[in-house]
Amino acid sequence: MSDGRGKKYTYYPGCSSQGSGKHLDESLRAIAPELGVELETLDDWNCCGASVGHVGGGTLPNLALTGRNLANAQKQGPQDVLTACAACYLNTHAGNEKIKKDVAMRGRVNEALSAGDLSYDEDLQVRHACEVIVNDVGIDKVKDRVTNPLTGLKVAGYVGCQTVRPFANTDGGGNYDTYDDPEFLDDFTEACGAEAVDFDVKTACCGGAVSVISPEKTLHLIKEILDAAKEADADVIATPCPLCQTNVEMYQDAINKEFGTDFAIPVVFYSQLMAVAFGMDAKDDAALGRNTIRSEKLEKMAK
Amino acid sequence: MAQSAPDTARKYDLGFARWVYENVEGGDKLSMCMQCGVCSGSCPIGTEMDHGPRKLFMMIRAGMKEAVLTSNTLWNCTKCYRCVVRCPRGVPVTYILGGLGTKAVEMGYVKTEDTVRFSKAFWWSAKTFGRTDERLVTSRYHFSGGFGEGVKKSLANLKIALGMFKAGRLHLGAPHKVKGTKNLQAILAKAQEIEERAGETER
Repeated sequence: MSDGRGKKYTYYPGCSSQGSGKHLDESLRAIAPELGVELETLDDWNCCGASVGHVGGGTLPNLALTGRNLANAQKQGPQDVLTACAACYLNTHAGNEKIKKDVAMRGRVNEALSAGDLSYDEDLQVRHACEVIVNDVGIDKVKDRVTNPLTGLKVAGYVGCQTVRPFANTDGGGNYDTYDDPEFLDDFTEACGAEAVDFDVKTACCGGAVSVISPEKTLHLIKEILDAAKEADADVIATPCPLCQTNVEMYQDAINKEFGTDFAIPVVFYSQLMAVAFGMDAKDDAALGRNTIRSEKLEKMAK
Repeated sequence: MAQSAPDTARKYDLGFARWVYENVEGGDKLSMCMQCGVCSGSCPIGTEMDHGPRKLFMMIRAGMKEAVLTSNTLWNCTKCYRCVVRCPRGVPVTYILGGLGTKAVEMGYVKTEDTVRFSKAFWWSAKTFGRTDERLVTSRYHFSGGFGEGVKKSLANLKIALGMFKAGRLHLGAPHKVKGTKNLQAILAKAQEIEERAGETER
C-alpha cells in the first residue's frame, strides 16, 4: 500500500445499497480507505438477479445480468470485483465461474451481450468484502486502526447463509473460512474491542427471500436467531448480509405478536461496528441512524 | 411434513429422470443421489415442503413429473445452500430445485404460487430499470393476487414501511435506473431469444 491509496477493487454495491441496505454501503465506503481498500464503483451496475431472477426471467437472461456487470467491470480493468452483499456475491461469483468454465455457456452469454455491444472474456475474480478484509487487509490491520475500542459491547455474530455457502473454503471463494462454523465475524468483533458471545446459530437461515414473500412460513426461523442472541445476553446482533439485517430487524414486532415475546434487539453490520471503533462519525460513517432498532449502548460509544 | 397416500391414478413419465438430467440446471448430477437424506435433514424449512429434497429426487426417478413440477418444495426453498455443502455425493440440491422451478414456470405448471408472483414482480423491475426497486417490487407483488389481498398485505407491512422510511431506507421518488436501460433490455431480449431457440431444438 505504498502509494497511500491502497489496493483498488471494482466495487459492485447492488440494489439494496440504494434502499434497505444503505447503511452497509455507507459504512463500507467509510471504512474501506482506512483499511487500504480503494473502491472504484462499477459503472452502470445492474441487478444480480438475487434468489428469484431465474424464475421471473429464465436461466440465460438471469445469467446475462451477471454477464453485463462483468463485461462492464472488464472495461474498468483487471482488478478484482468486490461486493459486500451476500446475494450479489453468490450470483456474480457463481455466474462468473459458470461463464469461465462452461464454454458453451460463455458463447451464449457473449452472444446476448453482443446485442448491447459488450463482451466478457477476461478472467476476473469476484470477491466478498469480508473475504478481502480477512485475506488482503488482515485482521491485524483492522486491530491497528481501532482508536475507539467497543469495550463491553456484547456482539452476537450472525453470518447467515450466502456469505459463506456454498463458496467458503473453496479456492475461488477465497479459502478464508468454513461454511458451518466461520470465525471471521467474531474476529472482526474482537478486533474492534467488543466481546463476541457464543452464538451457535451463526449460520442458521433467516428465511431469505421467502421471509420477504411469505413471512408466516419463516418467522420461527428468525425467532431462533433472536432467542439465541437473547440467551447469550448480546447487546447487538452483527451481520454481513443486507437481507439478514433487514429480515431479523424488521420482523421482531411480528414475532413478538405471534409468539408473545418482547424482542427489540438491534441488528447492525460489522462495517458499522468498525466505523464506530475507528472513531468515525456516528451518522455519516457508521450510519447508525439507519437502524430501525437503535442500539443506545453502541451510539453512546460512537463519536 | 405432509404425507401423501399412494395415488394409483397418477401418471408416470418414465423418461422424466432423463429429461431432468438433460434440461435442468444441475440435473446431470442427480444420478449421484444415494437417498441418504442429509439434504432433507439439513433443510431449515422442510416443514413447509410437500416433499423434502430427498423424496423429490426419488419421485423424479419414479417419473412422477406432474407431482414434482407442481410441488411447493420448489418455492419454499430459502436458498441457504446447507444441503449443497453437506451432500456427501456432491449433488447441487439448491440449484436443481431452482432449475426445476424455472422449468415448471416455463411449462405452465405453476402460476399462482406466491414465489412465482413475487419473481415476476422482481423481474419486471430488473428488466425495466436494471435494478430492484424494493418499494415497487413489494407493492406489485402484494397487489398481484388482487386488490383486496394487496390492501391487506400492504396494511400488514405498513409499520415496517414506516420504520424503513424514517430510517431513510425506503426509497421514494423516481426509481433508480441503470444509465443504459436500452442496452440492458437489448441484452436480456437477446438472451431470451437464445434460450427459446435452444428450447425449440430440445423438443
